[in-house]
Amino acid sequence: MNSRRQPEDRDPSDAALVAAMEVRDADAVARLYDRHAARLLGLAYRILGETGEAEEVVQDVFLYAWRAAATFDPSRGTVISWLLVATRSRSIDRLRTRRPLAASEPGGRDPLADLPADADVERGSAAREWESLCRGAIGELPAEQRNVLELAFFEGLTHQEIAERTRTALGTVKTRIRLGLMKLRERMRPYWTREGNA
Amino acid sequence: MHSEQHEELLSLAAVGVRLVGEDSLEYERLLAEPCPTCAALLPELRFAASSLGIRAPSRSPSAALKDSIVTAIRSDRRPATRSPARSAGFAPWAFAAAAAALFAIVLIDDARLRRQREELRARSADLAQRVERDRSELARRDLVTRVMESDDVRLLFLGGHGPQPEARAKVFWSDKGKRGVLVAGNLQPLPPDRQYQLWVFADGKPIDAGVFDVDPSGRTLFESKDLASIRTAENFAVTVEPRGGVPQPTGPIVLIGTPS
Repeated sequence: MNSRRQPEDRDPSDAALVAAMEVRDADAVARLYDRHAARLLGLAYRILGETGEAEEVVQDVFLYAWRAAATFDPSRGTVISWLLVATRSRSIDRLRTRRPLAASEPGGRDPLADLPADADVERGSAAREWESLCRGAIGELPAEQRNVLELAFFEGLTHQEIAERTRTALGTVKTRIRLGLMKLRERMRPYWTREGNA
Repeated sequence: MHSEQHEELLSLAAVGVRLVGEDSLEYERLLAEPCPTCAALLPELRFAASSLGIRAPSRSPSAALKDSIVTAIRSDRRPATRSPARSAGFAPWAFAAAAAALFAIVLIDDARLRRQREELRARSADLAQRVERDRSELARRDLVTRVMESDDVRLLFLGGHGPQPEARAKVFWSDKGKRGVLVAGNLQPLPPDRQYQLWVFADGKPIDAGVFDVDPSGRTLFESKDLASIRTAENFAVTVEPRGGVPQPTGPIVLIGTPS
């Protein structure tokens, strides 16, 4: 039937929403928020372990996306990867400013200790597909490679700090990060190519 | 030339590891090299690294967050694109205004003389400003030359950090001169109420070395304050702070160097 719903028309891609933001369409931000805010908040919360601060980061990221929409280059990644990187770097900056306090506490804070179960969040099929690919790719990594990548990504540690934390030689940490990330790159490559050519 | 060591450095940078010591210098050298493979690999590795974000479980934001973001965005009046040229509608008004002005001058000679006086005064003030600007520029260049030609000048590289990983800078520092010159690029323009602030680390503590702005292409050439109180500079960093600067760093670090 011709009157059937056509998702392509009604659900513009993330890249199309960012393009709309470039011409100051505030509704596009609201739609992008509906799709990805929960994912970004989850990341900020995992790094910071505090909801109020994590929400401040998410607000900051969407304002950044609004102002820097023109700088988004679809050939260099997806919108969600762009937003995740922005969320991660802002969260780590905040974490580092308070690290001297955390370091004085015995054992420090474990940001993984109080995580809730994954929220039931509505996301588009493209986002679900991407997430599924990511989960598969990360799940295939050897545990020691995944561990060092996560310590760098979520805790913002230097490789020396990771070496101390994991009681591993510095060179081994570097090698594990390289091997793990190169594997992720290989697994994500079809998506990278597809987005780049979209 | 692309190598396994390059892959290692690019991987560390892509996953957000803070590079320190020799690694930081090596990474700077790598970025300065003409290596198309590295240039293509880094964004792809960053894309791959972003997939790690999926490991964090999603969380439902509070109901107020969306409203707060949308309100902030709707009140943000900064244009994303350049305004179109308005020359089409300008000419008739300009001619009408000019004709009216001429008519008034013809009729009221006194008004014409007054206006001429004001114009001369404005031109004189403009020339005085230009002379002052040229004088400051000359003094600035003189200072830069003196710092760079000091026999104890050191060159330190600052790498992009946090929200501005692409930023790059060099600091020419003279312990004898107690001053440094910062040459930076790829810095993002800031809102009017914010400025970049340079910090010099001495005895492990950050010391305010002055605030600066960047040109529209994100570049600056900036000389630090006279820091007579410090013995030697151990490291440098640049943060984003409220305009005018703050006594201690509060904002995000966007450039950081390698401790000596």
